[in-house]
Amino acid sequence: MLSILGWLFALAVGAGFVGSLSGLGGGVFIVPGLVLLAHVPMYAAVGASLISVVATSAGASVAFVRDGWTNLRVAMVLECATVTGAVSGAYLAGYLPPWVLELLFAVMMLQSAYFSLTKQDTELLSESDKLCSWLRLGGEIPDAGGQSLHYGVANIPGGAALMVLAGIMSGLLGIGSGALKVMAMDYLMRLPLKVSSATSNFMIGVTAGAGALVFLARGAVPGAIAAPVALGVTGGALVGSRILPYANVRALRMMFVVILVLIAVEMGWRAMSGL
Amino acid sequence: MVEPQEKTLEELHQSEAVLEEEDRILRVWTPVLLRSILIVSAIVLVIGLFKMAAQSPNAYVGRFRRIQSGEVTQQYESFQVLISRSLSGHPHSIVILGLMLLTLVPLARVAFCFFLFIRERDGIFVLFTAYVLTGLVAGVILGRIG
Repeated sequence: MLSILGWLFALAVGAGFVGSLSGLGGGVFIVPGLVLLAHVPMYAAVGASLISVVATSAGASVAFVRDGWTNLRVAMVLECATVTGAVSGAYLAGYLPPWVLELLFAVMMLQSAYFSLTKQDTELLSESDKLCSWLRLGGEIPDAGGQSLHYGVANIPGGAALMVLAGIMSGLLGIGSGALKVMAMDYLMRLPLKVSSATSNFMIGVTAGAGALVFLARGAVPGAIAAPVALGVTGGALVGSRILPYANVRALRMMFVVILVLIAVEMGWRAMSGL
Repeated sequence: MVEPQEKTLEELHQSEAVLEEEDRILRVWTPVLLRSILIVSAIVLVIGLFKMAAQSPNAYVGRFRRIQSGEVTQQYESFQVLISRSLSGHPHSIVILGLMLLTLVPLARVAFCFFLFIRERDGIFVLFTAYVLTGLVAGVILGRIG
């Protein structure tokens, strides 16, 4: 028993560590870790991973909320969309054949790789559009001189539509869908990248929590796997977040992209083999 | 629908007070609550795993192999059964209880925001937050029926 526990724990620590350094979260790495290395069925891996995403987000969001970058109002509007998607996705996960989940996972890995390569800060929007003004979604960030700089928000319907998709993917695949969330806030809603990342981290726990509740209520979370994985991913993510300020993330980015593409190929191959 | 370009002094003071209150709740109380639930759930999970290792290591290995082979996909216990089995020291039930506690963290965070917006009398955001809470409860119901 101890060797299995130790192996799962080590796998989870590694996934949490790489997930934290890459900014993509542990779920992106723990699901393929469990499926490809521990030979756990996709559905069981998704259940265990959703719990670990909740755990990691709970640990990380304590720090993120403290730093003042999180836009709570934007998060709350978009959580309506992500929770709707996550509950639907987690419900559907019980009915879809494994190859569909594996194929979707491969597609999401490629999207994450694309996001890692192209992510860049957009120009600050000085004024919000009408709907975002009415909802008072704009905020303030400190500039280089320590002065407050106002930023506006745009296209909340477009952002919310993409958030439904992010939620569905989260519930179906056991991931936080952070890359999709940040892309929606960054490109569609024109939020500053650091605000998008912090707000996405704040939202990930609620999105994954919605999916995890469906799995838990169904009795579909394998406790024997989820417990060591949740503890390990959280531990790995904590170590990763401590090292992150000193790491040369730009140099590591290509390595993460290669890993994501390899995972996509392997999961895609599994999906095609299961057809 | 259009936000006025210039705010009166009173409106500025009001919005600053709201931001300070929001800030205090977010910076002080939310992290304390989140961290407490997180620590308690981690302790419960560790206790469950230790009990598994001490009492029934072979049962754990057997369960893991059955999950690998796809024999075990769902194992539901009602909340009452889960609590009573956890109190009587059943390792698997203790682990599931720890996982349930963990999922309380995001729920608690949304509940915090709900009360924050009620205090601010921000009707539309009370509705948004209520929708999210309802969605989380709907998830539990959907999981039970399907």
